[in-house]
Amino acid sequence: MAFDKMELNEIEVWDGNFAAAQALRQVQVDVVSAYPITPSTPIVEGYAKFLADGYVEGEFMMVESEHAAMSGCIGASAAGGRVATATSSQGFALMVETLYQASGMRLPIILNVVNRALAAPLNVNGDHSDMYLGRDSGWIQFDSYNPQQAYDLNFIAFKVAEDHEVRLPAMVHQDGFMTSHTAQGVKTLSDDEAYGFVGEFKPMNDMLDLENPVTHGVQTEEDWHFEHKARQHHDLMTKVFPKIEEAFDAFEKLTGRKYNIVEEYMTDDAEVAVVALGTSVETAVEVAKEMREQEGIKAGVIGIRVFRPWPFEYIAEAIKGIKALGALDRSSPNGAMGALYNELAGILVNSDEKAVLTNYIYGLGGRDLTKAHLKEIFKELKANADAGKPTTELQQFIGVRGPKLAYL
Amino acid sequence: MSEMKKIKNLKEFSTSADRFEGANLLCPGCAHSIIVREVLNATNDDLILSASTGCLEVCTAVYPYTSWDASWIHIGFENGSTAVAGAEAMHKALKRKGRLKQPDKEPKFVSFAGDGASYDIGFQWISGCMERGHNMMHVVLDNEVYANTGGQRSSATPIGASATTSPAGRVSYGEKKNKKDMVAIMAAHGIPYSAQVAPNKWKDMVKKIQHGLEVEGPVFINAMSPCTTEWKFDPKDTMMISDLATDSLVFPLYEIIDGHKLNITYRPKNVIPVEEYLAAQGRFKHLFKDEYKHLIKEWQERVDKNWEMLQRREEAGV
Amino acid sequence: MADNTMGWDEFEIGAMLRSFDGPIKDIALTPQEERNYSPNNSFTASVADWRIEKPIFNKDYCIDCQFCWIYCPDVSIVSRDKKMLGVDYDHCKGCAICVEVCPTNPKSLLMFPEQEDEEAAIASWPEKEEKEK
Repeated sequence: MAFDKMELNEIEVWDGNFAAAQALRQVQVDVVSAYPITPSTPIVEGYAKFLADGYVEGEFMMVESEHAAMSGCIGASAAGGRVATATSSQGFALMVETLYQASGMRLPIILNVVNRALAAPLNVNGDHSDMYLGRDSGWIQFDSYNPQQAYDLNFIAFKVAEDHEVRLPAMVHQDGFMTSHTAQGVKTLSDDEAYGFVGEFKPMNDMLDLENPVTHGVQTEEDWHFEHKARQHHDLMTKVFPKIEEAFDAFEKLTGRKYNIVEEYMTDDAEVAVVALGTSVETAVEVAKEMREQEGIKAGVIGIRVFRPWPFEYIAEAIKGIKALGALDRSSPNGAMGALYNELAGILVNSDEKAVLTNYIYGLGGRDLTKAHLKEIFKELKANADAGKPTTELQQFIGVRGPKLAYL
Repeated sequence: MSEMKKIKNLKEFSTSADRFEGANLLCPGCAHSIIVREVLNATNDDLILSASTGCLEVCTAVYPYTSWDASWIHIGFENGSTAVAGAEAMHKALKRKGRLKQPDKEPKFVSFAGDGASYDIGFQWISGCMERGHNMMHVVLDNEVYANTGGQRSSATPIGASATTSPAGRVSYGEKKNKKDMVAIMAAHGIPYSAQVAPNKWKDMVKKIQHGLEVEGPVFINAMSPCTTEWKFDPKDTMMISDLATDSLVFPLYEIIDGHKLNITYRPKNVIPVEEYLAAQGRFKHLFKDEYKHLIKEWQERVDKNWEMLQRREEAGV
Repeated sequence: MADNTMGWDEFEIGAMLRSFDGPIKDIALTPQEERNYSPNNSFTASVADWRIEKPIFNKDYCIDCQFCWIYCPDVSIVSRDKKMLGVDYDHCKGCAICVEVCPTNPKSLLMFPEQEDEEAAIASWPEKEEKEK
């Protein structure tokens, strides 16, 4: 059975979910093992429909839980083929056990994570709690800010993850509803261009090579475990970024669209900047422009494109000369500073840069981060820059009702 | 479809080249490996295997050694069945796409798991695999206890057994709940084949495994695996205990075709009293105290009732 | 072969193990002695030190019924061409199932202390037991 190619317009109006589904079709994923959850469901529904209509050739396993979804992905990937799925929030949390197993077995599975808050209390809207939950799981984490990027980064993710020097699973994140359900113009690749960019899947240690049996998922006790984990960390630290840069370059040549491991907006001369993930990056860029035009504040924005491995050196470079930084964390820190704050502090502590660093917790459960909020943040950062020290508490909650929440 | 291996008698069977190796770390006298050998040797087809966390898994893939001569995967405690289901799906996809490395070969997909990993923590995953119709076989190594973690009760532990989390004591006779009827539950999925097997009845086992590998669709096999460590008997007695289990009808051997038609596949010539089966194992020792002797009678009544039910179902032929 | 003096950079990624060195066709039709086992295959390891007693095989009484072969948990009964050849002492854990299931009279397999000499054991083999009337 063959499949038909799909004729796409140069620009299609797609939401982030459909853009991701189209990418899975275009790279001809061999097996999708999935379980529905809002807001990521349309991605795997899309693959199922493409399959039903004969636009993709593969197997769709609609399983009975997200844990089983990733378990099926692991079995399929170890068998030796291209594998992807999608999830959000509680489903992601249920998958966690298997996320570590997928990366520990070095299986290049692509997981589209449509970011959503974690219960309790239950909430279907976007925040980054699930993305943060995955940050120690040994996966590469790409972050998109709009449907175009959700589409493009899927191709990058497959290309990097499946590279035999990398062989690590990768997540492509997009914000629940804000990206996943917001239709925008998406510049497309033709089916041939897309497949050609990622290339045919090259198996490695594949179980289905019947003449070379392999054992996957062994037990390694104290004599071995540390070395295997060390190897995985080493590869994440040293092999992934060069391959991502290679893929970004090739993608730019193909499409003209340029991606960076850390996206910098107006940072060259910036005095203050916010560091953010997801759709907030785009809002912050718009506000930073307004701050420059209306308030004369040299504002910039640093968008994290690759959250794991953590781009330590890229950020160290990006923050040069900036006097005050605001770390925008969209996840409840539950008794600590936000993750971005801590990661940035780790960079600043041994740096010659003496930026004042403060932490803003915002947008939990899909609460809007408005332009007014960001204006206030930039103003506070400017005050910090001028004072050479924090003029506010180190951590503030933004956009929450009730008495002001600020700590330390 | 490959040709079925011909196994007329034990001499012929003994010409099999094992694909499960020794110097694994299972206890001396463990029935798990006897069952695994009988399953693997029942076919000459290539195999893609998995094991859920448990004795079999932790004893056969401890770095830097593997005891498996076929591709094998372990993920976690609950999902060995789904791992094999994923591999089976990939095989289907690559076959259709013409990307198999050995396209002329049809491997069989088999997952092994203990009763804890099947009756309890992996129940949902197995149910999913059976319901979705993967072309695979799930084999439970049913030793009626969490042996790997040191003998806790599972939902396969029978009434009156002393387990570490349902211990017999001054005022307790041990496990209070009846064993879950997993074969019936799996058959209720409408799968083409489900069966109960025991290692002592190797011919019955081989026939069922061969049939299970031959049919299209999911197959569920519950294999009794006497546990020298947790049932508390001497390692040399594994087969003797197996004989007592099948011949007392505590562990009847039968198959269910297409989720409904039941065939009894072994009828002991001389049925042994259940008491003899219980008396041979340390886990039931306390039942022979005066205050618990009524439980032995109840055991016998339960086994008789179950045997009658199986016979009636077989006679009904529906 | 992976050994515990090796550093993190010397292992296969993913802690993956291979059963054989190089490809092997039709494993199920290839007897153990013809397989190119990888050093990571437990076939190349030994559990001989688990034993305090070992089974000794006396072929004089053996009828090649293969009960010992089928019920050995440790693939330690070497049978080829339908004949029982002996015990694989690298993999035998000394469980004595083979002795229990041996149907001959006297038995063709008996347990002896690990240090027992095979010739001496066979020389001292018991006589046929008379069945009680």
